[in-house]
Amino acid sequence: MHIPDGVLPAQVCVAGYAVTGGVTWYVLRQIQRLPDPSAAVPKASLLAAAFFVGSSINIPVPPVSVHLVLNGLLGVLLGWYAWPAILIGLFLQAILIGHGGLTTLGVDGAMMGLPALVAHQVFQLWRRLPRSLPQPWSMGIAGFLAGAVGLGLAALIFFGLIIFTIPAEFDLSTERQALTLLVIAHIPLMLLEGTFTLLLVLFLLRVKPELLKGET
Amino acid sequence: MALAHHGELYIPRDSPLHRWAVGPKLFSLLTWMFAVAIVRQLVLVPVALAIVALLYGLSQLPLSYLRRRLPYPGLFIVAMVAVLPLTSGDTILWQWDWLALRLEGLQAAALVLGRFLAILITGFILLGTAPFLDILKALRSWGMPPLLTDMALLTYRYLYDIAAQLATMQQAMGLRGYGYRRQTTRQRWRWLVALLGSLLLRSYGRSQRVYNAMRLRGYGQLSEPVPTRERRSDPVDPIATALTLTAAAALVIAEIWISHL
Repeated sequence: MHIPDGVLPAQVCVAGYAVTGGVTWYVLRQIQRLPDPSAAVPKASLLAAAFFVGSSINIPVPPVSVHLVLNGLLGVLLGWYAWPAILIGLFLQAILIGHGGLTTLGVDGAMMGLPALVAHQVFQLWRRLPRSLPQPWSMGIAGFLAGAVGLGLAALIFFGLIIFTIPAEFDLSTERQALTLLVIAHIPLMLLEGTFTLLLVLFLLRVKPELLKGET
Repeated sequence: MALAHHGELYIPRDSPLHRWAVGPKLFSLLTWMFAVAIVRQLVLVPVALAIVALLYGLSQLPLSYLRRRLPYPGLFIVAMVAVLPLTSGDTILWQWDWLALRLEGLQAAALVLGRFLAILITGFILLGTAPFLDILKALRSWGMPPLLTDMALLTYRYLYDIAAQLATMQQAMGLRGYGYRRQTTRQRWRWLVALLGSLLLRSYGRSQRVYNAMRLRGYGQLSEPVPTRERRSDPVDPIATALTLTAAAALVIAEIWISHL
C-alpha cells in the first residue's frame, strides 16, 4: 500500500514531507530521552531489514495469496523506533525496487508510520487488561488489535488521500463508490493482518519474550 | 520482489552527470521531480519526458538499466490507472456494448503515467550516477539526524544478508515439504509464522552482536569528526545545477501560465 510518484499533486507531496518532518522531530526527541538512545539502533535497523524482506512472504488465503504490511507488528516490537525504521524501509523500497516513490516518501511515511505508532500504544493495552487473564491471552488480544489497527488506519489514510485529491473533472460519486468498496474489501485484510500479528506475538512470547516487553 | 543489488544500482561512467557533485545533483533533481509533480496540463508532459530523456542520454546509462528497473513499478502504476479511461469522464471516444473509452479518463491516465515515468526515470538517473553511500553523506551534510543515517546504513548493509537468509530458510522449508505436501491453510500459516518469527529472532540476535561490536569500536561515544577528503569542484557543477533548476522553474511557470489561459 504505497502511493507511487506522479499520482498525488505536488502540494500534497510537500504537505506529506512537512507532516513527516514534524513527526520525525517529535519521535527523535522521544528517542533522545531514552537512557541510551543508540542502544536500540542496530536492533531497529536489522528488524527493519527483516520486515522489509519478510513483507514479501506470500500468505495463502485460498483461493489467493496476499502480502502482509506488518506496520502494526513493527510498532509492537520497536515502539518509537518504528517511525525511523518505516521511513528508511520506504526509502529503500523506493530506490531498490521502485515501490512507492521519492516525491511521495513523506506521504507514504505518514501513512504507514503514524498507524505503527498508534499500534504500539494499542499493544501496550495488554498491561491494562484484567490480571485474571493469562498473559498469552492479553498479549494475543492486544497483538491482534495492534496488527488490525496498523493496517486499518493506513488503509483509511490511503483512501482518504485518494478521495480528497480526485480531480474535479472526474465523476466524484462513482469514484467514491469504488473507493468505499475498496475500503470494505480491506476489512478481511485487517482481520488477516491482526491474526498473523497475534500468531507472531504468541510465537515470540514463547521463544523470546524480551522482544515484546522492551522499553523502546 | 526484484531487489536491486549495489552493483545494479550505480553504474560507473565518466558522464557529465557522474561528474556532477552529489549534493547539488540531489537538490536539483529532487526540485525537478517536484516540478514534474506540479504538472496538471497534459501538454507539458511530453516536454518533461523530453527533458528526462535528454538527462538520461547525458548520463550515459544503458537502456538495459531502464529495462531492468522499470517493469516492476510500471506494472503497479498501469494497474492503478488502467480503469480510468473506462470509468471517468463523459466524452465517449469509442464504445462497444457496455465498454466505453472516455476522453477525460484517458487524459487523466496519460497525465499520471507521464508524470510517473518522468519522476521515476529522474530517480533512476540520480541513483545510477551517484553511489548510495554518497547520497546518504549528502543528506547528512544537509542536517539529516545521525540516527536516521546510521539506521539507513545498517539496514542497507544487512538487507541483502537477511534476504539471502530468508531464501535459504524458504528452501529448507520446501525441502521439508512446504508447498509440495498436501497441507491445510492452518498448517501452512503455522509454518509461515515460524518462518517470519525465526527471521526476526535471527535478525535480533545478530543485532545484539553488531551492537556489541560497534560499542567496542567506540559507537555512541563523542569523537573528533573524521576529516573528509575535499572533492575538487568540476565545471559541470554550476552549469548542470543552473540548467536543471531553470528547467524546473520553467515547467512550473508554464504550468501556471497555461492553467490561467
